[in-house]
Amino acid sequence: MTLAAPGVLRPDWGTAVAAALPFVVALAVGAVLLAATGRNPIDVYALMAREGFGGANRIAATLTAATPILFTAVATAVSFRAGIFNVGVEGAFYLGGLAGAVVGFTLVSWPSPLLIPAELAAGALFGGMWLTLPGILRAWLEVDEVVSTLMLNFVAINLTLLLVNGPFLAPGSANSATPMIATAGWLPRLLPPTTLTLGFFIALAVLVLYFVWERLTPLGFEARLNGLNPRFSRAVGIDVRGLILKTMALSGMIGGLAGSAHALGVTHRFVVGFSPGYGWTGLAVALMGRNSAIGMLIGAIVFGALASAGTTVQLFSDIPLEIVDVLQGVVTIFAVVRFARIRKRPGRA
Amino acid sequence: MKTPAIRIGAHRVTRRFGGLLANDGIDLAAAPGTIRGVVGGNGAGKTTLMRILQGLDQPDEGTVIVNDKPVRLANPADAFARGIGMVHQEFMLVQDLTLLENLILGREPVKRGGVIDRAAALAEARRLAALAGVELDWSLVASQAPVHLRQVVEILRLLYRGADVLILDEPTAVLAPRQVRDLLALLRRLRDEGRTILFISHKLDEVLSVCDGVTVLRGGRVVAATTPAEADIARLAELMVGEPVEFPRRVPHARTIGAPVVSLRGLTAVDSRGVTRLSVVDLDLRPAEIVGIAGVAGSGQDEMLAAIVGLRRPLAGRVLIEGADATALSISARRAAGVGYVSADRAHEGLCLPESIQGNVVAGRHRAPPFARAGLLRPPVIREHVRGALHRFGVVYRDETDPVRSLSGGNQQRVVIARELDRNPKALVAAQPTRGVDIAGIAYIHRQLLEFSKTGGAILLISEELEELMNLADRIVVLYRGRIAGELSGEDRSLAGIGRLMIGEAA
Repeated sequence: MTLAAPGVLRPDWGTAVAAALPFVVALAVGAVLLAATGRNPIDVYALMAREGFGGANRIAATLTAATPILFTAVATAVSFRAGIFNVGVEGAFYLGGLAGAVVGFTLVSWPSPLLIPAELAAGALFGGMWLTLPGILRAWLEVDEVVSTLMLNFVAINLTLLLVNGPFLAPGSANSATPMIATAGWLPRLLPPTTLTLGFFIALAVLVLYFVWERLTPLGFEARLNGLNPRFSRAVGIDVRGLILKTMALSGMIGGLAGSAHALGVTHRFVVGFSPGYGWTGLAVALMGRNSAIGMLIGAIVFGALASAGTTVQLFSDIPLEIVDVLQGVVTIFAVVRFARIRKRPGRA
Repeated sequence: MKTPAIRIGAHRVTRRFGGLLANDGIDLAAAPGTIRGVVGGNGAGKTTLMRILQGLDQPDEGTVIVNDKPVRLANPADAFARGIGMVHQEFMLVQDLTLLENLILGREPVKRGGVIDRAAALAEARRLAALAGVELDWSLVASQAPVHLRQVVEILRLLYRGADVLILDEPTAVLAPRQVRDLLALLRRLRDEGRTILFISHKLDEVLSVCDGVTVLRGGRVVAATTPAEADIARLAELMVGEPVEFPRRVPHARTIGAPVVSLRGLTAVDSRGVTRLSVVDLDLRPAEIVGIAGVAGSGQDEMLAAIVGLRRPLAGRVLIEGADATALSISARRAAGVGYVSADRAHEGLCLPESIQGNVVAGRHRAPPFARAGLLRPPVIREHVRGALHRFGVVYRDETDPVRSLSGGNQQRVVIARELDRNPKALVAAQPTRGVDIAGIAYIHRQLLEFSKTGGAILLISEELEELMNLADRIVVLYRGRIAGELSGEDRSLAGIGRLMIGEAA
């Protein structure tokens, strides 16, 4: 892969272009499918663009849908950058969501300025601890992180299921859900009556912090070196075990924060099936954004628009919701293709 | 078929990469049954030309010549179909397969039912080995086979697959002098049987001894096509560089003043596969001393440096840094204690190729003041400092934020040396510090090492280039099968003596 080595604080446009290519391909594939089923692709895309970005309400809906994806993309990118193929953000999202909800319906007497940070901190704490475990396994016992984090997702999801049907089940509730979070613990809506909450701006702040982290902090520098060349980073004396541990903890914290922000901002409690796969969508966005902040922001907003437009488009037309899945799938596949590879390899003199 | 005048060659071959003219109207001609040497420094265009002759790359202008006719080689398979095969500098054998399996890989003789016919394979292997005049245990696993046998198998593999044009890229780089002689003898036999060989090397004495003709490249052009009868080493070196080259050399003498910076005591170490490579070695390295380590590849050099630098924990024995036990210290603690390391594997360990030049220089020290403050890196401070270091070590570069892979091999190695010496270490472990560096670059790096030694730095110099050891080291320790076979110091040491120790004979 031809990762450009960006100078500190120099925007990386090559990466941004590489991130845009999959969308172009996906739109083309989707157009063929739509045309084959007797629909005019341009009309459909125009409708989807309107539903995704037409007016403040629709933009707010898109940004709301983009929020968890942006969080999970950054969570994934932190570890990907260090060369750790961590697929466990989905599990951290579940645990963080439950932890945030539990704090939110327990400390009902706390005022907002205390309760909301406490909820978010609880989510980050549990998510961070969760992914520290596969970090330890990888750093000291060389347990493959793909396998461990993948399996831990099942553990996390079923653990939350167990808890939400046991100690945290809402009294008198038949379905598997916790009690509602105290309204003081909800993330405030920024543009009522739209659904946009403070959560989107927290996600943006995390993205900005990620940008600073990867370019201006020693740990971010070490992560880049280790991701590009682990033998080199070891030989110059970087503490690779510590690096793995820290990036996994960081990834888990952001994943857990994502979950609690989702609970506080959208669902207002923890329910079974809490995430429709945000961890995986975020992983796809991190891949297609090549871990770059700008690439992930674009990717998350486009995926958010697809999600928010998809649900309403089928209300107003006969377009099946599945076209959105097709577009997402094609984008993801082509995001993983390394377009840079296809270019002719430069020779050496 | 009439014998062609040119079995393989190039006519006016030009190849550009962006603004860089890698090959500029190159003419090359090798008659059947001859050995043609191709020499040149870094960036002279050797690799590009060989890639073109092998079908890995196509010229922008001009053509490849095969059997007197211009041809277009679409890919290596196309080249192979015309009998052209190449042995690369890095061995391409599959480590876990036997030599026989490696030989037939990709073109296995099969019996009915698709089963590999081992008897037929072995018979063919023996026929080839007899032809080459070598004795081989074909059941050896490649990773366990001595390095010179692996080299021979690489060549036999081309013959097995029917190649009669052999392109050899630095084939003697990892061999002991005796093994080099054997290999050159093998090449002469192959030539006498009518095969055509392109011999790429920077060891000019070997080129002069084995080649029928020599083509010298510089800056992408042919600067001379000559014969061993018409040129000597000094003349070839001058043609390659464009001016006479002078190598620094120092008078070796025993340096016993000063407490050892690094000491090894009873050091025993295994490689990554658990094979014992180093057995009970004792060694002292003192300030201002250059100790050379010689030995055939795989004699324990890698394990010795891994134990000193901290890449791998030894099985037994101790590593002392300035008298304190450092056996259990981390790599960064050893670096802090004053150990520097120039890796033999520049592309994978010595540098992070996609990373910027400044990132490569500052890596490892990025947490220390003045490069970081309050938890943040300080790019302006880093840039200023890196510029100074690059200037002091003569690195030619465009911008310090360019990826380090954009530099030539020699400049890349200068970046490594800049990083390691800029830290002011007390001891430098330098493994193959001039590998893949051209003659002018070698002289420069040698001067830097001598300069470091003059200011009191200790150097453990592990090198396959015996001339390098002879020129720089105060004493030369020869390893054979993981033990110290002997130590040569003073002016009376000889290449022949080192060569004998390297293959287990008495000096």
